[in-house]
Order: sequence, then structure tokens, then C-alpha cells
Amino acid sequence: MEMKAKEKKKKALILGLNFLGLIIFFVLWELSVKLGWVSSKTLVPPSTVVKTFIYKLNNTSPDGSTLPKHFWTSLKLALSSFIVAVIIGVPLGWVMGYYKVASLVLTPIFEILRPIPPIAWIPIIILTMGIGMPAKMFIIFVSAFVPCVINSYLGIRLTDPVKINVAKTFGANDWKIFTTVCIPSSLHMVFTGIRLSLNNSWTTLVAAEMLAGTSGLGYMIQLGRTLIRPDIIIVGMITIGMTGALMNFLLSRLEKKITPWRNGDE
Amino acid sequence: MNNSKTKIWHYILPVLSVLFMLGIWTVLASSKNSLVPTPYETAVRFWDICIHPISKATLPGHLWASLRRVLIAFAFAIVLGISLGVAFGWNKYFRAVVNPVFELLRPIPPIAWIPLVILWCGIGELPKVVIVFIGSFVPIVINTYSGIKEIDPLLINAGKILGANHRQLLWEITLPATMPAILAGIRTALSSGWMCVVAAEMIVARQGVGHLIVQGQGSGDTALIVANMLVIGVVSMLLSTILSKLEGVLCPWQFSNKK
Repeated sequence: MEMKAKEKKKKALILGLNFLGLIIFFVLWELSVKLGWVSSKTLVPPSTVVKTFIYKLNNTSPDGSTLPKHFWTSLKLALSSFIVAVIIGVPLGWVMGYYKVASLVLTPIFEILRPIPPIAWIPIIILTMGIGMPAKMFIIFVSAFVPCVINSYLGIRLTDPVKINVAKTFGANDWKIFTTVCIPSSLHMVFTGIRLSLNNSWTTLVAAEMLAGTSGLGYMIQLGRTLIRPDIIIVGMITIGMTGALMNFLLSRLEKKITPWRNGDE
Repeated sequence: MNNSKTKIWHYILPVLSVLFMLGIWTVLASSKNSLVPTPYETAVRFWDICIHPISKATLPGHLWASLRRVLIAFAFAIVLGISLGVAFGWNKYFRAVVNPVFELLRPIPPIAWIPLVILWCGIGELPKVVIVFIGSFVPIVINTYSGIKEIDPLLINAGKILGANHRQLLWEITLPATMPAILAGIRTALSSGWMCVVAAEMIVARQGVGHLIVQGQGSGDTALIVANMLVIGVVSMLLSTILSKLEGVLCPWQFSNKK
């Protein structure tokens, strides 16, 4: 009984310290500008950030669109290309992992493409396809496609050979082994790949919008820099960060739903 | 017989596929109004920028400018990242205070920091270093902390029983046992840092491989872009190869276990 009370006290203490940390952070931030330690041209206090955030919810100045509109433009673009990349990339990775010939033919190409950061693709794609929707969708597709393929491929290759042999002993044919043993056991790696893809596509989108865009969150923060409006930049950064975190959270919920047998591990 | 035949295919198929890709690339790029350079044009341009300066430096000069930024930022990220990760693992209360702020800032992609960092540090060397630092600091902290959390308690207890003091527990047990996790973090950090330097240079720089790509975009010089993309890819590959060699040197027990 006493132990439990002690545990509870400890948990409360940690929670209190958590809040203390956040409060110290925000107070220091607020004071650093208010007391003039940092120039208000380069940083704005959190209270101003909140004000700007509320203001941007339905005002278009100074960057031409409201925050929700920027947000939707970015999210639509990132999610649609990301989903296409997953739908094509994951099955391709599975096939590469299971069929030796496919792996021999396709692996070298991916090994060449893999180390090139997705951002480095932006200029050549802009030159050949312009700065419209298709160009941006293609850039994000490239950034999301490669991790999907490579992780699904690894997932199949890492299948426990004992499981495959058991299936063989019980008379399963090739296709059956592929679909009922290898694919389910690869799902953990597949999700690692999908998570990487999602992060990549969100980051790359922001970069693409910063380099060439007329709307979207990346465009908004880049314009905030040109106009020397740190409040606009910080509002944009927070929106980008929160959206990324939220998408990650939803993805891990989905993973738990799809692979319930893994939940015991954690 | 059959076996040796399949083995030959293991060597032939990858080569064929790369040749096939180069072939398709050449055919696509050779059509009349294509903007994409052929592999041959790319190779020529590559050699050209190696010996003739472009933007006041040859390709090795630009490469060194980029690498120097990454290395400086990386030195800071390794020292501060490992310290913070160890502090998180060592003291629960310290972690309780600092972690919420860390978690608050973590989801913001390093690239989204670029405008603010430029506003703070101007357009010299400093902003690029800061951005690479942001990109590589986070993975090192996270990996160090999770490595410390997963240390076999047996190791710590054995150390305690044999009379190790706090400093010995840290330097002789915790850090070596966490080394593989730290190195995994460093690997992630290095590829993230390399990407960050390219992005930062693309947005604002007068030197560096990222700058060359944007310059190619500005002047419509696609051969310059593709040559630089390949250079960036090869460097990133080399960096990760060097790191895995380093892993073998720094924690050899990882490898002897596997055998």
C-alpha cells in the first residue's frame, strides 16, 4: 500500500516538473523579448505568436491566404502523393524481396537513387515540369517512394526462415507462402518505411514550397523571412510541426490496428 | 551445373539493369527538345566543373565548403547531443523538466527552421551550421537516451557490487554499452545533416554543392544539376560507409556476437 502511494507521489512530482519545464521555457521566451535581450525584429514573444495565429485563421494579409488555406494546400499535396507512393512502392518492395530476379534487376537502381536527398531533386523537376501541381506531386512522390520500397524489401528478406520452412512442410505453395507468411511478417518493417515516407514527404513539401511556390505553409514561412515577420514564421513552423506529429500519431494508431499481434512486444 | 549458371546471372542481371537504365536515360534525353542531359553530357559537365572554377571555386572547393559546415555542426551535435541524452537517462527529474520542451520542438522539420535561423544569424556561414546542428542533434539525443534505457541492469548492478563509483559507472559501463545505439543515432544524424546542408545551401548560399544545383536551375544548366545530384548521392554513400567501418572499430563486440 505504502509503495503505491509513493509511486503516485513520484508520478505527480514528474508531472509537476513537466509543467515547470514548459512554464520556464515560455516565460524565458516571453521575457527575452519583452526585456529587450533579443531584438523584436528577430523574435516575437509567445503572446504575439498566439495573436498572429488567431489573426491568420481568417485574414489573408500579408501573404495572400489564410492559415487554414495554406494548410489545406500543403496537406492535400503531401497526402495525395504520399498515398500514391505507398500504393506503388510497398507491393514493389514485396515483389523485390520475394522474387530473386526482381531483386537483382531493381536493387542496383534503388541503391543509386537512395542516397540522393529528395530535396536535391527539386531543381531538375522544376526545370522539366514547371512549378505547378504535377511538379510538386512528383517531387513528393520521389521522396516518399524510395523508403517504402526499401523497407518493404527488407521486411520480406528478414522473414524468419523457420516460418517459411514450416509453411513448406505443411504443403503451402509459393504464392501462399508469399501472401500468408512473408507479407504479414514484413508489416513491421513496412510501417517503418511508411513512417519514413510520411516524414520525407512532409519535409520535402515544405522545402519545395519554400523554393518555388505561391501558397502553402512553406511559402508562408519563406515570405515571413522576406517581410521580416518572425511571428508569421513561428506560426508556420508550429503548424508544420504539429501536423507532422499528428500524422505520425495517426499512423502508429493504424499500425497497432493492422498488426495487433505485435502489441504484446511493447 | 545449374548452380553455377544461376550464379553468373547474379552478376549479369544487376549490370544489365544499370546499363538498361543508362540506355533509357540516353534515349529519353536525346529527343529533340528534352531538357534532361544525357549521361555523356553529365559526365563532361562533371569533369568541366572539377577543373574549371564555377562561382569562384571548383567542384572540390564547393564540396569542401559543404563538408566543412557539416563537420563543424556535427562536432557540436555529437558532444551536446550525447551529453543531453546521457543526462536524460541519468537523472529522471532533469528529464522531466527538459523533455517537454524538447518534445515540443522535435516535430518541426529542420528545414522549417531555415527562415528563422536566417533571420537570427544572417546569411554567412553560421546559419548553415546552425541548421545542420538542429538536424543532427535530435537523432543523437533520442538514440543515446533510448540506448541508456535499454542497458542490461545486470551490467550496472555488477559494476555497483564490484564497487564502481558514479564516474566509473558512466564512463566504463554506461557509455560503452550505449555505444551501438549512439552510433545508430550518429548515422541517422549524418544523413539528416547532409540533407540539411544541401537544403540550406539551396535556399541561401554562395558556395557549396546545394548552391551549384540552384545555380544550374537559374541558368537552365541541367547537366550541372544532374552532375551535382550524383555528387551529393555519392558523398552521402561514402559518409555512411565510413561510419559503418567506424562502428566495427568502436564496438567490435557487436560483430563478434553475430558470428
